[in-house]
Amino acid sequence: MAKITVDGTEYETQEGRTILQALDELGILMNGVDIPHYCWHPKLSIDGSCRLCQVEIEGVPKLQIACNTPIKDGMEIRTQTAPVKEAREGVMELLLVNHPLDCPICDQAGECKLQDYAFEYGVEHSRSREPRRAGKKNVDFGPTITFDQERCILCRRCVRFCREVPGTGEIGVFGRGDHSALETFPGLELDNPYSMNVADICPVGALTTKDFRFKIRVWFLEDVPGICTGCSKGCNVWLGTANNKVYRYVPRRNDAVNETWVCDDGRMSYRHIGSADRLDRAMVRGELGVLEVTSVDDAVAAASERLRALVDAKGPGVVGAVASGHGTNEDLEAFVRLLDGLGVENRGLATVQGESDELLVQAEKAANGEGARKLGFGDAAGVLDRLNTGGLEALVVMGHDLLDAQHLGGIEGLERLDTLIVLDSHHSALERVAHVVLPARHAAEKAGHFTNHEGIVQAVAPAVEPAGEAVPEAEAFDRLAAALGVAGEDAA
Amino acid sequence: MLTVPHTTNYLTEHFGDDAFTTLEGYRARGGYEAAKKAISEMSPADVIELVKDSGLQGRGGAGFSAGMKWSFMPTDGDQPSYLVCNADESEPGSYKDRILLERGGHQMLEGILIAAWATQADTTFIYVRGEYAFPADQLDRCVREAYDAGLLGENIFGKGFKHDVVVHRGAGAYICGEETGLLESLEGKKGQPRKKPPFPAQFGAFGMPTTVNNVETFSHVPHIVKNGADWFKGFGTEKSPGTMIFGVSGHVVRPGLYELPMGTPLDEIVFEHAQGVPEGRKVKGVIPGGMSMPILPAGMLDVPMANESLRERKTMLGTGGVMVMDERTCMVRAACVITYFFRDESCGQCTQCREGTGWLNKIVERIERGAGSEGDIELLLDVCGKMEAKTICAFADAAAWPVQGLLRHFREDFEEHVRQKKCPFPESFEL
Amino acid sequence: MVISEEARAAIDGEIARYPRKRGALLPALHLVQKELGHLSPEATREVAEIFELRPVEVMEVISFYNMFHARAGGRHHVYVCTNLPCSLRGARGLLKSLEAHLGIEAGETTSDGRITLDHEECLGACGYAPMLRVDETYHEDLDEARAKEILDALE
Repeated sequence: MAKITVDGTEYETQEGRTILQALDELGILMNGVDIPHYCWHPKLSIDGSCRLCQVEIEGVPKLQIACNTPIKDGMEIRTQTAPVKEAREGVMELLLVNHPLDCPICDQAGECKLQDYAFEYGVEHSRSREPRRAGKKNVDFGPTITFDQERCILCRRCVRFCREVPGTGEIGVFGRGDHSALETFPGLELDNPYSMNVADICPVGALTTKDFRFKIRVWFLEDVPGICTGCSKGCNVWLGTANNKVYRYVPRRNDAVNETWVCDDGRMSYRHIGSADRLDRAMVRGELGVLEVTSVDDAVAAASERLRALVDAKGPGVVGAVASGHGTNEDLEAFVRLLDGLGVENRGLATVQGESDELLVQAEKAANGEGARKLGFGDAAGVLDRLNTGGLEALVVMGHDLLDAQHLGGIEGLERLDTLIVLDSHHSALERVAHVVLPARHAAEKAGHFTNHEGIVQAVAPAVEPAGEAVPEAEAFDRLAAALGVAGEDAA
Repeated sequence: MLTVPHTTNYLTEHFGDDAFTTLEGYRARGGYEAAKKAISEMSPADVIELVKDSGLQGRGGAGFSAGMKWSFMPTDGDQPSYLVCNADESEPGSYKDRILLERGGHQMLEGILIAAWATQADTTFIYVRGEYAFPADQLDRCVREAYDAGLLGENIFGKGFKHDVVVHRGAGAYICGEETGLLESLEGKKGQPRKKPPFPAQFGAFGMPTTVNNVETFSHVPHIVKNGADWFKGFGTEKSPGTMIFGVSGHVVRPGLYELPMGTPLDEIVFEHAQGVPEGRKVKGVIPGGMSMPILPAGMLDVPMANESLRERKTMLGTGGVMVMDERTCMVRAACVITYFFRDESCGQCTQCREGTGWLNKIVERIERGAGSEGDIELLLDVCGKMEAKTICAFADAAAWPVQGLLRHFREDFEEHVRQKKCPFPESFEL
Repeated sequence: MVISEEARAAIDGEIARYPRKRGALLPALHLVQKELGHLSPEATREVAEIFELRPVEVMEVISFYNMFHARAGGRHHVYVCTNLPCSLRGARGLLKSLEAHLGIEAGETTSDGRITLDHEECLGACGYAPMLRVDETYHEDLDEARAKEILDALE
């Protein structure tokens, strides 16, 4: 341990850290101790080039950069003295010498560190009257990212990110001096599963995602903490919401889960929230043999009648249940209560397995498979065997991962069922054979918990209003249990 | 290729003799005797002590004690350690290393061999600037000759000492003269200086302990070993012993190289050795130590060429490149050329340097065009202040100093441009 | 493959001289450029492969150094040093007269592909100004007439 003093306050920190690393670890960097910085990033190697994080250290004649200066026991650091402020102003003014100052048409405006720091630590504009360096505009860096060279401050975070995190290293700095610029090699564009993170770590509007570009001004967005449900990693994200709509995910730092990153597939999964294929009304198959829109109450009643009749006639052994890894722990617990109440033992879990990598992406493409397993849902194979051998007459299904080739591969076999009850957030082919369909909420629309692949339990809270009449699965199950008369005392 | 220096001393006395460039000729003049003495009769620590005692200062610009630098090298541990010879001479006004490579290749190699013994280094990398094709070829030949004669490689002088030399060619970037920029470049990367810590003595070339010395620094070493520290201190000043090769350029009758004792007065170099300005014109200003060093006006040339005295005049010895400008010279034009150079050569890492060098250049070019305004001079000084002492390496300082120097002594040149809205020096050198 | 077997063998020889492979990157680029005249994307890719680097990393290096050319130039590269010591002795005037003589501007190549002319920063010939670097050779203490003769003699 080492004791350091920052602006008169003493802190205890681990040895072997640089000043910024130590303050970051203590959770006080830019959160009590203001040392603005551009090139330094907690999850990337130290560059030491932007020179903004200079601080005064007792006994050292020159200012030192906090990002690369190792702490020493007894070190006294001052971050708000006149020389420090002057150095910051100097860096800020110099960064603005060639900056186009096109904030009115820049997508970064509102979350731009150049804008913020210029206001906070610098000068609002540079005294330079000289022509600014002309740079390439709207450079297509790859499928996901657009580059605006004029805005780039050459902090090289993106360069280091691509080399150090996905290990793909597509971006380089070509040339030198004030004529150096980011580029990709001809024919080798920025294209990796984590490419969009470069837009997050770009402190200015140089790298922006094509997806979010010009969609909305960021100051109209409310950032709500949430979890990406693309896989069992459970990456922490901010949901950028406005007008009851989610406009984007950006990673939210959680060193125990996703550090400061999220994969591109996960990031883009926000589009499922308000997508056109949302299932937002309850439906019951009517006498004409087609699904008819109805109220959730009527659908619950219909489901209850069908299940009750079947269980009364043939016992719970003909009923099967397929849980989904997309439900919260609360949803799954309610499912368990319902099944326990009815005495249904044919239970399983259907999730889709896909590609994985060393970094974040997990094979299980659902946020809460682990939560379901912890609640006793084993692989759905047993339930499906029973289905295929004609042992099931009713099935209650969460979601539609069941339709994936890894499970049923389609609706074949389901059409024989006497009763198919589906709870889902999105339309699927299940509706062609379902008897009762209940609209379920997306994770962004409800409160609850997910258990990630390592067993870390993470909470979500509603970020937007539910689609149509979608209800949390927990509520649907509890209402169904109540209608069936199997609700336990503690059920809602 | 090159002419012999106009004045010579121990470093260059045989440079007129073609035979001296060959191993045979060099040995005939007592060459490699010093290395033999060091390796056969002296311990590494003795050699370091001797060089420390001699007071030899690095001749690459910073003027740091060579013996001290060697003593920073770790002597324990199994990992290899390296010497690097900085032959990336690129400081405008400086061209002494070129002749030391072309005409004194073996002298420098002998110095390297002694330094290698003193620091127990495994290999020396000689980083020759890419444009020096002929000097590099000469050096390659010297290295081959030394290997063939057993002066490099295994078991040198039968003492079990092993040392290798690799001649490495740069590719055209001034910043590779900065010691860690050079190391990066040697490793096959962009020559962008490294942030410190770590320092080269712990983590240098290829991650190993490394000492970097200039061509001329190494070249002095055999003479010190041969003749002793006291002999060396007989040249130059008390604090700056030995000779130095001064390169005189610009508006003088006799430009060229002059090997003179450190501390030789600048006016003696300009007026006696280089014979002053042609056609009886007067001197306006002199840059004493390569383009990074602040200029001195005509009235301040009575200064010994040594750091301790030049510092009092707010400039430094640098590489000893003496650039003379006559009375017709427009100092704003000089500033244009100087700032353009630093703008072009900045490696581009640090904000202050990347943006500051370009800004300085744009301002002085505008003043030269006649579009300057009041406040520009203060702005220039302010930008210089923002660049100084705040970056990874000293390049930004080196870019700011000459501008500060020009404004310190020739402010009226700048003011006159602003007042007249044009360059008032029609007779000045062409831009 | 655009890099010849001979150049490839020479690169391997360079690699053997360094404690780490990448140390030989600058020598290798010199060799390839000498053979091909410039460092095309194809050549860059091949060099990257030899050094187990990404092409973009090699391109960064190429773009950092004045002596490496990513684009094809003339058969001869002629540089006039225009740094201060040379400018004080008329280098800028010399450059302008050579531009006029060749009918091109600095940075351009003659239409017959014979000469690429450019200005250069200090080449270490300050006492022998003005000067030209023609490919690997220095020509010093020049006047306009002599400089033109030198250019005219280039094939």
